Amino acid sequence: MKARAASLLLMAPALLLLAAVFVYPLLRYGWLSFQASSVLTGLEPVPNGGANWGRLLDDARFWTDAFQTLRFAVCSVALELAGGLGLALLLHRPLRGRGTLRALTLLPWALPTTVMALGWRWILNDPHGPLNAAIRSLGGSSYGFLSTPATTWFFVVLADVWKTLPFVALLLLAGLQTIPEDLEEALRLEGAGRLQILRRLTLPLLVPYLTLALLFRLAQALGVFDLIQVLSGGGPAGSTESLALYAYLNAMRFLDFGYAATVMLATFLLLLVLLGGGWLLWRRERAA
Amino acid sequence: MAARPPLSSLRRWRSLPKLLTNALLALLSAMCLLVLLPASGLSSSGLPSAGQSGIPAAAAEPVTIRVLMPAPLADAVAAPVAQFNASGAGIALEVIRGPLDTETISDLATGSLLLGEAPFDLLLVDVSWLARYVAAGWFEPLERWFGPEVLAAMEPGARLGNGLDGHLWRMPLTGDTGLLYWRTDLMERPPRDTEELVAISRDLQRRGRVRWGYLWQGRQYEGLSCVMVEVLHGFGARWWNGSTARTELDSPEAVAAARWLAALLQDGVSPPAVASYAENDALQSFAAGDAAFLRNWPYAWREIEKGGGLVKGKVGVTAMVGAPGEQGGGTLGTWGLSLIKGSPHPEEAVAAIRWLTGPVVQRQLAIEQGYAPTWSTLYDDPDLQRRAPLLTVQRQALQHPQLRPPTPAYAQLSDLLARQVNGMLTGQGGPGPTMAAAQRQSLQVLRSLAGPAGDTAGESAGGRPAVDR
Repeated sequence: MKARAASLLLMAPALLLLAAVFVYPLLRYGWLSFQASSVLTGLEPVPNGGANWGRLLDDARFWTDAFQTLRFAVCSVALELAGGLGLALLLHRPLRGRGTLRALTLLPWALPTTVMALGWRWILNDPHGPLNAAIRSLGGSSYGFLSTPATTWFFVVLADVWKTLPFVALLLLAGLQTIPEDLEEALRLEGAGRLQILRRLTLPLLVPYLTLALLFRLAQALGVFDLIQVLSGGGPAGSTESLALYAYLNAMRFLDFGYAATVMLATFLLLLVLLGGGWLLWRRERAA
Repeated sequence: MAARPPLSSLRRWRSLPKLLTNALLALLSAMCLLVLLPASGLSSSGLPSAGQSGIPAAAAEPVTIRVLMPAPLADAVAAPVAQFNASGAGIALEVIRGPLDTETISDLATGSLLLGEAPFDLLLVDVSWLARYVAAGWFEPLERWFGPEVLAAMEPGARLGNGLDGHLWRMPLTGDTGLLYWRTDLMERPPRDTEELVAISRDLQRRGRVRWGYLWQGRQYEGLSCVMVEVLHGFGARWWNGSTARTELDSPEAVAAARWLAALLQDGVSPPAVASYAENDALQSFAAGDAAFLRNWPYAWREIEKGGGLVKGKVGVTAMVGAPGEQGGGTLGTWGLSLIKGSPHPEEAVAAIRWLTGPVVQRQLAIEQGYAPTWSTLYDDPDLQRRAPLLTVQRQALQHPQLRPPTPAYAQLSDLLARQVNGMLTGQGGPGPTMAAAQRQSLQVLRSLAGPAGDTAGESAGGRPAVDR
């Protein structure tokens, strides 16, 4: 009993901090989402009886953005996990200059997102960017990569993968190095091929690391803001807008804080349902 | 070398600590820069320091007035600003070059204003922002300095969109409206109404004289809302009812207006690509000789004449047309200067407004950039008429311009209407359901913005139409 009290006491600062940065904002959002707090109310909160939530249900932009955010997260995280695994396997092998190679792969991850997004925007500039210059030198004509929804979306995903692949690779590399080499050796002596080793030994032992990478990356990708804000601004015609960007626009451009809180909270609830559902499903799979 | 990293994975990662150290060093130096920069910036910026810092300033030290403008306008007024600063008025006018895009510069200004202390005294304000900024309480009323006689010397359209709730919030610098461009080599005279516009287009298309009839802005963005303002008005509908502070997008007239737009695409008068066109896309296509008509702002004329494209010298401009029997009218797209509340030097700032919105600057903007002036006397100036050939049409357009809904909620209303109409243009719904959905969503937005008091709150907080004198 005493130990329990002591542990609670020791944990109190951390718990208080969590409450301050997590629970309080959530409660505040919850309260604000039932208020009108906009230029029409002089930015003061006035209860509006759930009108924000009614509006949310009929708000095509919210649901489009929810779909787009999900699509972005699923595609980029899937590519990052696959690519990160490949890169980690490569970096795990004894190679000449491996140290330099590993440092080099970390470079994109070390760049601030806004800086690298600006870089991509410049690369894709129509007609002055290097990509269009290359196309022209090959005899083609400039293409508005950032004024076509499909290509803009593609490059947003590509930029995200380019930046965070090293992070995933690093995590998985750490996992790879915990796998004792003699296990692999033993399998090889038994006559197992490379693919078999990967499937039967490496991947199963990597699962905790893959899960960790998946959770980290999903949480980040579902809240994507800076990359999209700088690279495409959510355009063209809102085709790359994410939920975080929409919440930001509601607060900062429309000065509609009640609805911005509603969008934030709804996003949070969506993620909770999504990730919680995924987790439950995964646990049932494992138990079965 | 630091302690061995706990993860065995990092065992052979020799360059990592070095990398980290370097990154840390870079971060530290960046932080030092950030800390030092503002300090040194302040000390050398010539801020009027007399009373504030306790250091007595020289009597001749000019008061600095900062104004935030989109870069092209900032560049356009550079020479007059230099002239003003050299005039010995004791004011150093400093123009901050903001981003080109209207929404981006509004975001920038909003960010500063929300924080309470804006780094500028004056803001060049687009007519579509005014209601929102006024409702947020960021502007100082100007009627103390500019009486009714000042606006009375301007063209009727230029007087619109500057006042709200009985106060004057903005002095207009430009008097731009949406205009209809037509090809003088393809027709004798411009169309008088929407029916003629379509008839001429189809005739020309049938005879193979031109590929498309009419180009406009159908992309899902605020420019489509500007088109909608014109089309709705041209069909006798209205987007916003100032007396009820509600939208009227599902009226039969409004549906007829939407139907006309949808028919332009269905009948091939406008290309399907119009649904992805912003101003410049439409302009480029028109300048390449693709179409008989174009809807755009006054700047387009100068671009066409400067560009030396296929249609150079073959373009006429006229006021926006409406349906037969209806008065057409272009959307008002004016810029004007507002005084930020809390500016430490309102008198000097107003002197700067007076100069910047004065005839000298407007004259130069008309000649060099094609912006419509606001002062009536400038329109009567034969020399200016010669050097700015659009002047007569611009004046005509300023007699019946259309305001976008003067409500603080305009940004949201515009967003959802543009979304709905663009959906209709890309075949996702007919005119009736489109406008019904837009109306339903508009009312939802207004309810969510204003609280239970709904309509009355909307009215008292600036839902009323602009007061223009």
